[in-house]
Amino acid sequence: MKETIRARPPRINIPSAGDTSLPPCIRLSNGVPVYLTGNGPEGLLRIEFVFNAGQRRELVHLASEATNAMLTEGTELRDAASINNLIDSTGALFSHNADKDSAGLVTVTLTRKLDEVMSLAEEVLFHPSFPEREFRMMKEKRMQAFLTGRQRTAVRAREEFYRALCGDRNPYGRVTRAEDYDSLTATHLRDFHAACYLPGNMYITVAGRNPHQVLPLLENHFSGEGAAQWSKPVISPMEFGTARPGFIFCEVKDSVQSTVRMGWKGITRDHPDYLGLQVATMLLGGYFGSRLMRKIREEKGYTYGIHAVAGAFHGIGYIVIMTDVATGWREETLGEIKKEISRLQEEEVGSEELLVVRNHIMGEIARMFDGPFQVAEAIKGIVDYDAGHDYYARFVKTVNNITPGKIKELFNTYFRSDEAYEIIAGIA
Amino acid sequence: MIRFERHTLDNGLRVIAHRDEGTPMVTTNMLYDVGARDEDPEATGLAHLFEHLMFEGTREVPLFDVPVMMAGGENNAFTNNDFTNYYITLPVNNLETALWLEADRMTGLDLSGERIMTQKSVVTEEYRQRYLNQPYGDLLLLLRPLAYEVHPYRWPAIGMDISHIEKADTISARKFYRKFYNPSNAVLSVAGNVTPEEVFRLAEKWFGDKPRAPRRRRRLPAEPLQSERREITVARRVPSPQLVMAWHTGGRNSRDFIVLDMLTDILAGCESARFPALLVREREIFSEADIYLSGESDPGLVIFSGKLRNGSDIRKAEKAVEDELFRLSSGPVTDAELEKARNRYESLRLISHLSASNKAFNLAHHELLGDAEGYNREKERYLSVTAGEMTEKAARTFLPGNCSVIHYIPEPQ
Repeated sequence: MKETIRARPPRINIPSAGDTSLPPCIRLSNGVPVYLTGNGPEGLLRIEFVFNAGQRRELVHLASEATNAMLTEGTELRDAASINNLIDSTGALFSHNADKDSAGLVTVTLTRKLDEVMSLAEEVLFHPSFPEREFRMMKEKRMQAFLTGRQRTAVRAREEFYRALCGDRNPYGRVTRAEDYDSLTATHLRDFHAACYLPGNMYITVAGRNPHQVLPLLENHFSGEGAAQWSKPVISPMEFGTARPGFIFCEVKDSVQSTVRMGWKGITRDHPDYLGLQVATMLLGGYFGSRLMRKIREEKGYTYGIHAVAGAFHGIGYIVIMTDVATGWREETLGEIKKEISRLQEEEVGSEELLVVRNHIMGEIARMFDGPFQVAEAIKGIVDYDAGHDYYARFVKTVNNITPGKIKELFNTYFRSDEAYEIIAGIA
Repeated sequence: MIRFERHTLDNGLRVIAHRDEGTPMVTTNMLYDVGARDEDPEATGLAHLFEHLMFEGTREVPLFDVPVMMAGGENNAFTNNDFTNYYITLPVNNLETALWLEADRMTGLDLSGERIMTQKSVVTEEYRQRYLNQPYGDLLLLLRPLAYEVHPYRWPAIGMDISHIEKADTISARKFYRKFYNPSNAVLSVAGNVTPEEVFRLAEKWFGDKPRAPRRRRRLPAEPLQSERREITVARRVPSPQLVMAWHTGGRNSRDFIVLDMLTDILAGCESARFPALLVREREIFSEADIYLSGESDPGLVIFSGKLRNGSDIRKAEKAVEDELFRLSSGPVTDAELEKARNRYESLRLISHLSASNKAFNLAHHELLGDAEGYNREKERYLSVTAGEMTEKAARTFLPGNCSVIHYIPEPQ
């Protein structure tokens, strides 16, 4: 009898994205925006300080990440050893974040240590001293990591892509050279810090149980008398030196695999096709059963994984497909990727496959909002790019309404073979 | 404290249910008691290759991923030397879909030659991508055969050699499947907003009809005590030398593990810990210096790994690490260091409670180690570690004769 039950698969309920609303923005008395998101285990809080201090703001290459790394290496009051000792004694975890469009600090702390941790956060964010010895050690360590990266095909192919897309003089596209480390000085970092790490240039997210308890401390450390007023930073648009599409080869000696990267100039979040393009890239290479994974991994066995992503920085979007393959298969892989794209340009996707993609994205959004720490991350994605509080609501709507015809149109508009960058990094 | 209930089906499947009302999702975590240590030394890498095959579909479900995605879920798996773990996280109203899929692939896998061929190629590329095409990527592949002479921990989960993966065939895969994939060799752990009664009812519905297989007894050769220091030097295309040292210690359930886990946190768990503070920052010998436990069920290793700064001498660096370890005998761990380690342990434990899938895995893992309740008891065990105990364990562990060393140096240009 049990066999007959077994034979019948359970009915699948259409997944819903759930509640995608973001918490309202409240403000400290000087105007610094704060987002509070509740729940989670008792006794633990995550407070993130985000500054408009990413790579985009650099006048000197590497200044953003180096300034960020140096925050906990010495302040006007304390040396690195005593800062580290204080942080670690509370059991708190401080993680440094320096991305293309924002930079800052994530602190995760036991609620009972909140006082000490917030006071330390203020100290390292606003009063770092950039001591010479620690600065030199930081540079040497990063230089070592940089040299290791030179031997990784995936790193080299990524650099070549952003260089082609944004230009070598643009902060997003600039390829790091060993000389960049030599010429970087502590004065560059002091200047970068003075320009970017200001209350007027930040926002804060608080995640965990009873997040409101953090507000008086934030008011105390990040607002009040003497702290600058918050105002929306005015940043002049960047200039892009986008290279002509075509084939780029990057030699990486002695590598046993090659990285294949195919990419296009994409669109930014304010473009009406941006959300639809997310659905299209998901279908192409965004999940295990996607077209590219099925063809290149599951049918051909060329690779351990292949992925497609569409994203955007400020002022420029990108679409990229990336995979590491055996060197002997790199040309075939590029050929198969093109074939898969042509198919999507010629034939409409079936309703079953579209439904799988739809449901998968709904589940993904639901997981992005599952838990306070996740919600804090989602907020960051929205605020850093002015994507709008209704971003996820609009995304859900697009996913539900997009048609096979529209998807085909997107592939024809944004994945044109004559506009593609085709990059191979590996042995000559 | 993670509350859970436990129930064993007649066929031996152990089921654990933890109710978490704070999440709209549910995780099913299926842990099979088979890892690389159960492999034939002539055919290693099979447990991991098999993990790939578990996604290749059955007669009933030709594409495993389609129903998971359809149900709004995500899934993945990993294999190590001890076990193979599969998990699916999806909206709680689709829990039954996950159980159906796990039940289906426990016995209904389609092991055709073609599918095996393709996955052999995928795994070969994984081997290259993760271990061979990364600077320093083969370090841990080199460490195992150096530190172990007889225990199957002497090879890594990916396999001793690519040629072993290439040799795998339908017959060996079928044999492996029959032997290890059955209810009495698995733990199913479910965490989400669902009652234990409902979990047990659904487990009975989907797994209850599977026949009981005889419970296997694992008989692995015990690693003899190491009495002499072992050392190898390898040259690779890397920018700077790396030093690896490994000492034998107890298994995951032993007191040694808990004590050394706290001790390694004090030595290298954070920036102010001894190695980063003294060997990296003060003396500038290393640019990074870490020490950690391999964490395996059977007696495992405590591993030091440090990247040298340009100009540091590797023998002197090794001596500096030894001096720090010997110093533990004369200058024990201070109260401040112990307090730090306890606070950090508390933070990290709370972070691990944030996600239902983490809790599901941890409960299943401890059940496999003998008792899921061990997960709850662990906090007390960690917080009870004393400085004296650490000194004593350090003196017994960090002996020169118990050490295997790798000097991984840049190839002359």
